[in-house]
Amino acid sequence: MSERKRVDPNLMKEVKHYGAGDWNACFHCGNCTATCPLTEQDSLFPRKGIRTMQMGLKDKLAGSVEPWMCYYCGDCSTTCPRDANPGEIMMSLRRYLTSVYDWTGLSGKLYKSKALHIMVVTIIFFTIIAAFLIFARVPDLNSAEVSNYLSEMGASVPLNKFAPPDLISLLDHIQLIVIGLFLLTNIFNMYNKVILKDKTVKIPLWLYIKEIGAAFWNFISQWKFSKCERKTYWLSHWLIMSSYIIMFSFIIFFLGWFQTDKIHPISHPQRWLGYYVTFGLIFACVYYFIGRFRKKEQIFKFSHHSDWIFIFLLFMIAVTGILIHISRISGMVNMTYYMYALHLAFEVPMVFTFVAFSKWSHLAYRPFAIYLSNLKKSAKARMAKT
Amino acid sequence: MKGNSGEVGIYFLNGENPNAPPIENFSDLISYAEKLPGVKLVKSTANGGELNPNQLNSDIKQNNLKKIVLAGDSPGFYKTLFGKAMAAAGNDPEDVVVASFREHGAITADETDRAKAVLNCAVSNVPFEIAAVPDEVEVNPDTLVIGGGIAGIQASLEIADANKKVYLVERTGTIGGHMAMFDKTFPTLDCAACILTPKMVEVGQHPNIELMSYCEVKGVSGGPGNYKVRILKKARKVNIATCIGCGTCAEKCPGKAPSEFDAGTTMRKAIYIPFPQAVPNKYLVDAESCTYIQSGGKKCGLCMKVCPVPDCINLDEKDEEIEVTVGNIIAATGFKVFDAKRAEQFGYGKFPNVVTSLEFERLVNAAGPTGGFITSRTQDKKGNWVFSAGGDEPKSVALIHCIGSRDENYNKYCSRVCCMYSLKLAHLIKEKIPEADVHEYYIDMRAFGKGYEEFYERIKSEGVHLVRGRTAKVEEANGRLLVRSEDITADKLLEQEVDMVVLAVGLEPREDAGETAKMLDISVSEDGWYVEANSNTGPVDTFTGGIYVTGLCQGPKDIPDTVAQASAAASRVLQSISNGKIKKSIKDLPLSTIEAKVKELSTREGGAS
Repeated sequence: MSERKRVDPNLMKEVKHYGAGDWNACFHCGNCTATCPLTEQDSLFPRKGIRTMQMGLKDKLAGSVEPWMCYYCGDCSTTCPRDANPGEIMMSLRRYLTSVYDWTGLSGKLYKSKALHIMVVTIIFFTIIAAFLIFARVPDLNSAEVSNYLSEMGASVPLNKFAPPDLISLLDHIQLIVIGLFLLTNIFNMYNKVILKDKTVKIPLWLYIKEIGAAFWNFISQWKFSKCERKTYWLSHWLIMSSYIIMFSFIIFFLGWFQTDKIHPISHPQRWLGYYVTFGLIFACVYYFIGRFRKKEQIFKFSHHSDWIFIFLLFMIAVTGILIHISRISGMVNMTYYMYALHLAFEVPMVFTFVAFSKWSHLAYRPFAIYLSNLKKSAKARMAKT
Repeated sequence: MKGNSGEVGIYFLNGENPNAPPIENFSDLISYAEKLPGVKLVKSTANGGELNPNQLNSDIKQNNLKKIVLAGDSPGFYKTLFGKAMAAAGNDPEDVVVASFREHGAITADETDRAKAVLNCAVSNVPFEIAAVPDEVEVNPDTLVIGGGIAGIQASLEIADANKKVYLVERTGTIGGHMAMFDKTFPTLDCAACILTPKMVEVGQHPNIELMSYCEVKGVSGGPGNYKVRILKKARKVNIATCIGCGTCAEKCPGKAPSEFDAGTTMRKAIYIPFPQAVPNKYLVDAESCTYIQSGGKKCGLCMKVCPVPDCINLDEKDEEIEVTVGNIIAATGFKVFDAKRAEQFGYGKFPNVVTSLEFERLVNAAGPTGGFITSRTQDKKGNWVFSAGGDEPKSVALIHCIGSRDENYNKYCSRVCCMYSLKLAHLIKEKIPEADVHEYYIDMRAFGKGYEEFYERIKSEGVHLVRGRTAKVEEANGRLLVRSEDITADKLLEQEVDMVVLAVGLEPREDAGETAKMLDISVSEDGWYVEANSNTGPVDTFTGGIYVTGLCQGPKDIPDTVAQASAAASRVLQSISNGKIKKSIKDLPLSTIEAKVKELSTREGGAS
């Protein structure tokens, strides 16, 4: 109890950069917490989070996992008697926490400045295009080697001669390692703030192993989200997430299997999984885009620039992906190359700006937060018993 | 003279202050301001510009300002800030003048002319009250009171007791209003009927009061001191003069409808007396539920046959219109309670034992549906959920505050009475079922009146569970009701199972409050309540001469405040009658008249100095 908490009077101002809303409007009636189907006795939100923020308890906020427990169904905001928009506050707190975990400080800069984020994306985009223009060599279709290759594959477009999977895979892995290192260190930072700095709870090692299963199950199924009243949100979220995960593992681990010039029959898993992924991404992107454009539903009423850029890049990646496939099947050689270059030009800035520093990182933070929260809960329950 | 030599600065502060009026033709107002004599600088912060003391200081110095007018700033939030800036520039901080639009009646968007007049007065150093004085006219000594609730009753009695004639128009079949429905008053726990019914009887018997029940005001013409009022006498179908109130007609009547007086918890006949103590204590016929009228005179007509008084009931009677002439009009038109069905999350209309406070008020009343026993609703033989004296006593009851009040989704304002009446209901439950658990969920406990805080303490000591935290939803679980809230002081999520939920519904303006306001030519606030001329110094006046507002139609208030306000309105009426003269409406005063007066006054003053 003697622990001293530092109060930061500018905390609210700071968090305001990460989202919208007049958060002083909150008069602490508790409606949002009592409305929320996900809130639990040991982790009450959104109201407590708003209180923490209003009181300027920066360290407490940095160590809280509650914002990650919210999947944003918007029910708290629609019934809020003060129009304080607690749902969007939770969303903003997630953005803020992402920047808190990020030791490079880039995350906060991207979140706070729309111009910077767009600029970074644009620069990377044109760098990739330039790299293609400079380094890529268009294979000569008339050369013996290429024509032999094509007849051997039964294909009409030698994309793998244009962009060899081994090379692309290598670049992918470099990208993965670099971004992965940032993400992992950020996750460790989160672990430090949530668990190591919290002296009230001690977690035995075996508990870490025991809780992995439940966390993994929740990650796969998004089971927690399904407890929210509106199931369409869970479905669209699950669609975008599962598509992304499958796509991600194709590209990172199985690129040689995924990127083939040979056109497999439609029954081949490479084809239908690819179609599923493309459909999932495009459907979800269009769904989110229309929602955010119309602003009718509570969760779409406010859109941060990171939301728009995220949807845009993801949509462009999916569209150029399917266009590569279509032009390859229909034998449009140059079109395939263009689309491939564009595909990568959209993919790299997406990975670079979002995976470790912005919206995408919640794919890692949220399941990890749920894991940590379960750990704390079990540990506390054990401590209460003894 | 100060500030008349090109040294006046005007700051519009509409954007800074949400209480300022939303003047429609803002640019027109600004160009008017620029043309006023002596004005050198006009600045508007309507677009949310921040007031910066350094900037103000340099404004003052650059333009050599000797006087500043704060336009639209009511009641002068920024006067201190500007005063400091003036002092820093070496001027007199007292030379900051507030031109309060709101205070002088520029309340709605179309009152640009009034705003101009107020501005003109402030720039020329002439008090608005002196520049804008309407002429006086003779006053008709008769008064019209619209609405027969406690406000209308009190106002009528005050005037009638001063030997002046009052027409009291009441829309329903009896006077008494909402207060007649209440069981007890807070904080004294007096029986509401015991206070009200003697007053009602007095109204009914008073030689100076012409009680017009079941009537509606349809039109008002003329002006202050001489209003011609068209009143619709709705066909009561029963002759008030001859009806002896025996009840034979109602006994035989087959038509039924939910009782308005019992807030729909019981049924009444189509021919009925609203409640046993009604004034006038005579029957009336509700056309909607009358078989004879609904069938176009082909069926039924039993009441006419059984009535022992010849020609007393005439179901074919038609509405008629009459006209009266009065000098003053008091609007005491009251309120309606919030429709709890609008806030779906509380399950009203879905779960039979989620009831409104008004229904509960009838339930605990000894003349109510169960004779005063608190019971849960049970299904009768026909499957309807009804209160019956034989029903089960609820073992636990939840009272939920702020239903439809203090809520941006419905009404932003506080309804002022719900905290106290909920505490009262909690007490009544504890009194009648001492072993019952009573849970009360509130946002803030507003026990503001005389003796109210003490009452709150008393209820706390009676073992009522008071939870600070607004209930978010009511659900059904295990055949009982589940109330979900967060106890914000204990940081706990509460899921309380109860047998009955009482929703403390807020108060709203009547549906036709706007039409009535139009008829009377008075302003309506954003929330729909009638606007008084000045909340501090003219709480019952309006900007229309000879028209006063009192009671709930002016805004939510409790019974003591309503009665006090009704007496205040009566005193304003009596003042004009006693003088024999009344001022015309300030709103009919043209801008040019005020401008001329300002010019006259300021030149005279200027000449003297």
